[in-house]
Amino acid sequence: MSVQSQPSLSGRPSLSAKTLQKYLRQMLTIREFEQLGEREFRNGLIRGYYHSYAGQEAVGVGFINAMDLKRDYIVDHYRDHGHCLLVGIDPSRIFAELFGRASGVSGGKGGSMHMYSAEHHFLGGDGIVGGGLSIAAGVGMALRRQPEDGICVCFFGDGALDTGTFHESMNMASLWNVPTLFICVNNLYSMGTRVNEHSSLSQLVDRAQGYGVKTEQVDGQDVFAVAEAAERIFKYMRQNKRPYFVEALTYRYQGHGIHDKASNYRGVEEEAKWHGRDPIKLLTEYLIAEKVMSGKQIEALRSEVLHELEAKVAEAAAAPLPNPADLTKDVLL
Amino acid sequence: MKKLSMHEALNLALREELKRDNKVVLLGEEIGKYNGVHYVTRGLYAEFGKDRVIDTPISEESFVGVGVGMALLGFRPVVEMMRMDFSLRAMDQIYNHMAKLRYMSGGHLSVPMVLRGPEGPGPNPGLTAQHGQQLTTLFAHCPGLRVVTPSTQYDAKGMLKAAIRSDDPVVFLEPGPLNNKQGDVGEDDYVVPLDQAEVKREGSDITLIGYGASVALCLQAARELEHDGVSAEVVDMRSIRPLDMRPALESIKKTNHALVVEYAWQSYGPGAEIVARLMAEGFWDLEAPVERVSGQEVPLPYAANLEELSKPQMDEIVGKAKQSLAQ
Repeated sequence: MSVQSQPSLSGRPSLSAKTLQKYLRQMLTIREFEQLGEREFRNGLIRGYYHSYAGQEAVGVGFINAMDLKRDYIVDHYRDHGHCLLVGIDPSRIFAELFGRASGVSGGKGGSMHMYSAEHHFLGGDGIVGGGLSIAAGVGMALRRQPEDGICVCFFGDGALDTGTFHESMNMASLWNVPTLFICVNNLYSMGTRVNEHSSLSQLVDRAQGYGVKTEQVDGQDVFAVAEAAERIFKYMRQNKRPYFVEALTYRYQGHGIHDKASNYRGVEEEAKWHGRDPIKLLTEYLIAEKVMSGKQIEALRSEVLHELEAKVAEAAAAPLPNPADLTKDVLL
Repeated sequence: MKKLSMHEALNLALREELKRDNKVVLLGEEIGKYNGVHYVTRGLYAEFGKDRVIDTPISEESFVGVGVGMALLGFRPVVEMMRMDFSLRAMDQIYNHMAKLRYMSGGHLSVPMVLRGPEGPGPNPGLTAQHGQQLTTLFAHCPGLRVVTPSTQYDAKGMLKAAIRSDDPVVFLEPGPLNNKQGDVGEDDYVVPLDQAEVKREGSDITLIGYGASVALCLQAARELEHDGVSAEVVDMRSIRPLDMRPALESIKKTNHALVVEYAWQSYGPGAEIVARLMAEGFWDLEAPVERVSGQEVPLPYAANLEELSKPQMDEIVGKAKQSLAQ
């Protein structure tokens, strides 16, 4: 699949205006959240690592909206802020975690890469490339033993395909009929190494062959294509109790992390090309063309989202630091 | 009470827990149809079926991860390492996930699982460098893990049952040299607390401190010392993390002398930690420096004479005990 040859969205007339507006609000929320996060990183409120989801919004929006989080679970990787927002965690608790505050979603002990919320069925946030793959197979094993037909969704990057545990996990998931959806978010770079320089095969979906697992590629800039695939795949998985592998083709606008100046290794021309297929731009163009929303309404929505998030930043920044006594809480010493 | 081998005692613990709680599942290589390389899971596949006793591919990192994932959703996986040496393949899951998820999540998550398997040179000889290592130190270093090792068949059953019921991840180290040795095991549904050292033999002149397989060496040394009129007390640490120093500290108040015996490599190991804590908390009760006897710091060699020499030596244990008492 050549994503960049497709100029516009695949079109999805079956989606209601309300759903389309929800998608847009979610994508704008993630984009603005990451921009505020980067600002606060530079302001010194956020320390350590910061992996921005900006540019990849359609992947999370398409897949997570199709989930039933009463019975389904997510095992995520370190680029997790957007997914936290999509499962419904209050942005002030995500900012608070980034700011290392007691009210943070992990009590201030996790930070950017380690957000967890049992109540939202969100099992992290994992700092090790490929670290969540086998855990997701295990969550699938548990779900298979329960009556609700739940599914585990595991997000990871293209670099994780190079770990041994990817192949071990795919093998076991298939062997044991585990309902885990492995979503390889191919943003073309394993940190600073381009996919053609770290992968023996140029189509990553081909590297998931060999385990008897259904696979497909999806255009990760096209929220309709992702949503369509997600709905179809979940239906198949609930019926067949089988794993599934998806390669979502997308692009991150920032470097691997915030310290990483990506244009050093990928060039501004490539970046500009992908900005031309920005998932939010494609959606807004569609909404305007189909007269679902006007440009003015979209700008108003963006301002509203930003205004709301600014209040969340302020709330988180005012939250207290963790109690020093909590240093040794929640771990066997 | 009945006489059982260590592996039969462990088997009984697994059987009782599988019966008691349907959230308990076993995972590992050759544990099911094959019946377990060291017999610990013998008969359980036939009794509980393939959904409870799960044969895995040779993918240590990932089936430990599968255990973590199942534990996150409330299962109680007991994951076997055929030999503890193979856990090195799974260290990312053990160190970065199993041990840390509760803390990193601010207490949202817990990982109630057991990682168990035999370590050290035994039961059979000739295991060599990649199959007979004593890796206690690696686990003992990591906060978030509970690390225990039984020295008797009775403790093996009760401690494994307690480990399965623990809400924290437990690394359960089965002393390879004791796997086939017999001893008394209770037939009732008892548990042995995971955080309590125990005096295994009372004495008044010197305290011999061991854990796992080295407790048997301490007991043998105590018998030999008795011939020479020396009364040795033997403390079995049982829990390596956290360490329960109380019985050892109480003991040296009486004996004023101590010797630590372990199969592990000496440098930076549990023995070093035990000595440090004796110094910090019991210095004024000691009349001589704490002595140590450990495994030789070499990869486990193959040749029978070299393998034997690589283990803690009885004459060295007895000799150092006497040397301590002479001071």
